[in-house]
Amino acid sequence: MATTADHFQAHSEEHGHHDHEHKPAFFARWFMSTNHKDIGTMYLIFAIIAGIVGGAFSGMMRVELAHPGIQYLDTFARWFGAVNPDFNTTLHTWNVLITAHGLIMVFFMVMPAMIGGFGNWFVPLMIGAPDMAFPRMNNISFWMTVAGFFSLLCSAFVPGGTGNGAGTGWTVYAPLSTSGSPGPAVDFGIFALHLAGAGSIMGAINFITTILNMRAPGMTLHKMPLFVWSMLVTAFLLLLSLPVLAAAVTMLLTDRNFGTTFFDASGGGDPILYQHLFWFFGHPEVYIMILPGFGMISQIVSTFSKKPVFGYLGMAYAMVAIGVVGFIVWAHHMYATGLSVNTKMYFTAATMVIAVPTGIKIFSWVATMWGGSVEFKSPMVWALGFIFLFTVGGVTGVVLANGGVDDVMHDTYYVVAHFHYVLSLGAVTALFAGFYYWFPKMSGKMHSEFLAHVHFVIFFIGVNMIFFPMHFLGLQGMPRRYPDYAEAYEYWNHIATIGYMVMATSLVVWFINIIYAYAAGKKAEDNYWGEGATTLEWTLSSPPPFHQFETLPVIGETAHH
Amino acid sequence: MVASDSPTPRRRNRKTALTALSAALVMLGLGYASVPLYRMFCQATGYGGTTQRVDEAQAATVKDSGRTISIRFDANVERNMPWQFKPLQRTDTVSIGARDMALFWAKNTSGKTVTGTASFNVEPEQAARYFNKIQCFCFTEQTLKPGEEVRMPVLYYIDPAILDDPDNKDVQQITLSYTFHVTSTQDNSGGDAKTLDRTQAGG
Amino acid sequence: MTFGKISHGLGQTIGAFGLSAAAALTAVVPAFAQEAPASTPVAAATAAAGSYTPMKPVEGIGMPIDGAYGLQTQFSKTGEYGEWIHNIILMPIITAICVLVLILLVIIAVRFNRRANPVASKTSHNTILEVVWTLVPVLILIGIAVPSIDLIAKQYKPAPEGALTIKVTGNQWFWTYGYPDNGDFEVISNMLNVPGAPTINNGVREVGSKPWDGPSHLEVDNRMVVPVGEPIRLQITAADVIHSFAVPSLWFKLDAVPGRINEKVLVVEKPGVYYGQCSELCGAKHGYMPIAVEALPRDKYNAWVLTHAGAQIDTGKKKPAAAAAVPAPAADASEAAPAADATAEAE
Repeated sequence: MATTADHFQAHSEEHGHHDHEHKPAFFARWFMSTNHKDIGTMYLIFAIIAGIVGGAFSGMMRVELAHPGIQYLDTFARWFGAVNPDFNTTLHTWNVLITAHGLIMVFFMVMPAMIGGFGNWFVPLMIGAPDMAFPRMNNISFWMTVAGFFSLLCSAFVPGGTGNGAGTGWTVYAPLSTSGSPGPAVDFGIFALHLAGAGSIMGAINFITTILNMRAPGMTLHKMPLFVWSMLVTAFLLLLSLPVLAAAVTMLLTDRNFGTTFFDASGGGDPILYQHLFWFFGHPEVYIMILPGFGMISQIVSTFSKKPVFGYLGMAYAMVAIGVVGFIVWAHHMYATGLSVNTKMYFTAATMVIAVPTGIKIFSWVATMWGGSVEFKSPMVWALGFIFLFTVGGVTGVVLANGGVDDVMHDTYYVVAHFHYVLSLGAVTALFAGFYYWFPKMSGKMHSEFLAHVHFVIFFIGVNMIFFPMHFLGLQGMPRRYPDYAEAYEYWNHIATIGYMVMATSLVVWFINIIYAYAAGKKAEDNYWGEGATTLEWTLSSPPPFHQFETLPVIGETAHH
Repeated sequence: MVASDSPTPRRRNRKTALTALSAALVMLGLGYASVPLYRMFCQATGYGGTTQRVDEAQAATVKDSGRTISIRFDANVERNMPWQFKPLQRTDTVSIGARDMALFWAKNTSGKTVTGTASFNVEPEQAARYFNKIQCFCFTEQTLKPGEEVRMPVLYYIDPAILDDPDNKDVQQITLSYTFHVTSTQDNSGGDAKTLDRTQAGG
Repeated sequence: MTFGKISHGLGQTIGAFGLSAAAALTAVVPAFAQEAPASTPVAAATAAAGSYTPMKPVEGIGMPIDGAYGLQTQFSKTGEYGEWIHNIILMPIITAICVLVLILLVIIAVRFNRRANPVASKTSHNTILEVVWTLVPVLILIGIAVPSIDLIAKQYKPAPEGALTIKVTGNQWFWTYGYPDNGDFEVISNMLNVPGAPTINNGVREVGSKPWDGPSHLEVDNRMVVPVGEPIRLQITAADVIHSFAVPSLWFKLDAVPGRINEKVLVVEKPGVYYGQCSELCGAKHGYMPIAVEALPRDKYNAWVLTHAGAQIDTGKKKPAAAAAVPAPAADASEAAPAADATAEAE
């Protein structure tokens, strides 16, 4: 990739002395941690826990949707503290589930795993830095995210209007979230967004500073590994979009509690403005979730093809382009709100532009593999799955970009299918690819390649069974966020629920694999993927020393070009 | 290459972080500023169906174009507003450029004195920038005593420039819509009204 | 999941498509052949001049079909255009892209695996290739954008002056339909209760209790009745939170936003019943406020209008619009003076 290992192999040999293995005691190490690898590990564990909670919510949704009618929601309402729930409370529980699933998966699963987990772990290693620029701020970021998660969980057990919990959807649209949801639940939800947002902004500042200032001598921006490039672009997106969300939800909070009317028509406000602000954040947010995945896939594809990434600069600047264009397409989420004809035309055209840099990425990955000597190790198999599934999710995005076609697609299951193909099947597949790529490096133990492949095959079948039929449901007009539906939607819903069970089985295989690795896994070598793995983390031991690069590595002139 | 313990990188890091932080703060500020900015943008361009507000002097400069257009009037109340609210004419044909008056009728059907304000918009929204109000009941709050009814005027004209706008060439009827919202409610016993500070957008 | 179930589903789908094709060919006739005979409880109850029996919907028309994998059959001009863009332009292009990527991945797996190609090439640049895969997508996107932008322009063509106006208001959790050009009566539309399920709307009958009832979860007590074949100016607002008025088979979706109206033209091409559902999360019963649009020929529409107290036939395009004005509300009808009572602030 961007750097060649042989140039600093010699330096890493000098890391023989012992003081960098000095570790603090348990409490100080894990609760007051300033070590980027420990914080990264905590982020990954946190993301797995949050993912289990968010995944359980989606499982509750899928069993309810297996058949028309209300089957289990009444029970779920009791779990959230309702005593003898009436029908509205029962239905409110559905809205709590969809809201919590969305917020958890976005803010407490994908973002912590991608940015907090792999970003913290590997950005300093890949640029040859001893740690992040601001280790203590890194710690605060993590614990704010955890606090945000608890605030969100608390919201599910306090009144939120027709029942316990915030039932506004993850988009928290006014006026449903203001005058439409009395009770503290939505305030807790907003507070969760504040905490997670503040944590992420601090994380973004940390990444930007680290990447811009702490690269090893000789590592110019144009020699940085693509994963670091993706994190840099992601950090800028976070930095510029999250404050807008913070402002928007703060105004929601004052509209709810202090009588302001920012989004209330009765005082001259406009609920549509909230949607503009939310999606001004929300659209960059979807790139925040996928760009680090792009970076990981680039590393993996290059490693297992034993070839440098094809069109490195094109790949890096395609991500920059996606980031920039991502800020000027937000209103394609609002085609049904009564936008003027010219606005709708502009956002249709602007949105389609994003397909161009995305296409460059897909074709560059294919070209990287083309002519390579491809080894189908588990991370590569997951990466291939990512490329295909992301393509499927991407092309339905082109369909939805058309303002005129969106009139029939908007807020149907077609949209649900689209964003799960790019996130649940795109971002999550990338996370698993990254997990299998780096797990032995992080833990020092080899996982089972066989189980990793089994995990992939079952997961691939499962998620496609869940989400591909949702395209059909959407085309037939099934609206999203419905706990109950007409009988004519039963067939595909039933298949999707079976698919969920298949997908859940694959996660069992994954957990078994982790247990296997710690119980019986072979000790991982420094560079267990061999000649194709050329970035700096492969020059270190597995796991890397507690403090690395006390002597900074020097990057040679041999570039990827 | 030992650079980590020299003071320069630390200062450089702080500078980068502060630059990034100020970028975040600017975006935060823009988030709040978007409320007045959006309002100004809508008032200037008619975006979102926002009508124009003009004074008598401006209105006096406009000439009757001799061409006519149909105007439709629409009235709504929000859920907790205890008023009946109707236009006294559903449609009207007006000369483009000539001022015209429309009347709306409202009645307080509750036992309390209710103060309300009206939000409004114009459809098709590309016509809004040519829809000029000289006088409107929506410029101020309206207070109705229990059982009181009132007729409220809107004095307006359509800017003849609409005839030259290709975006409006297909527009044959413009709808002016109002929705009344509760601003404050007062018991007849003379209890203190809960009045919120509300600034009225547009004109 | 068994193969039996899958083949059953596919058969159902194919059968349903056949049905919709047949219905499209024979147009109006089947819809009316199935109309219930003389019993007219609605008309009798309101004791007005008109008579009206709700139309029985045609299976698979204006409603979803179980196991189907395409768009609902469209019954409006924009719908047919949009369906054409989706089925003829977008679907082949996106399928081709996915197949292309899949083929490339398969070729890589076969030709460039470690055994077939032990020594990796070191190629990491090809300017021509990079230019091609930038420009070709640009051209494809321009090809998509041209009809797509045209569709938006057609959807937003404003209604003609004399078009019938219907006012749609979203409420938690039902719809009301106002007919300002027909004497300003209002229709309140609730979802019918589902037998065996908790009561959704008190005092509303169960679905299936009348011969003309459509599918459960979609059928309502009072439909939004519209005249067929003429442009209708739909003005949509909400009384509490944001709702969205959506009918998939009429290619129509527009949010109902409190404090403002949104407007769009609806033209239904064939008589029939077309179902839709609220499409913006609006609280607990978001899933239980469906939309049923019943499109009738003008004379039957007029008969339906006259079943309402104080109703009158709208004058439509023939007379000047001023004459179509509705008289003032009853409370004010006697007062002739156009002077205003309220003082308006002049600027």
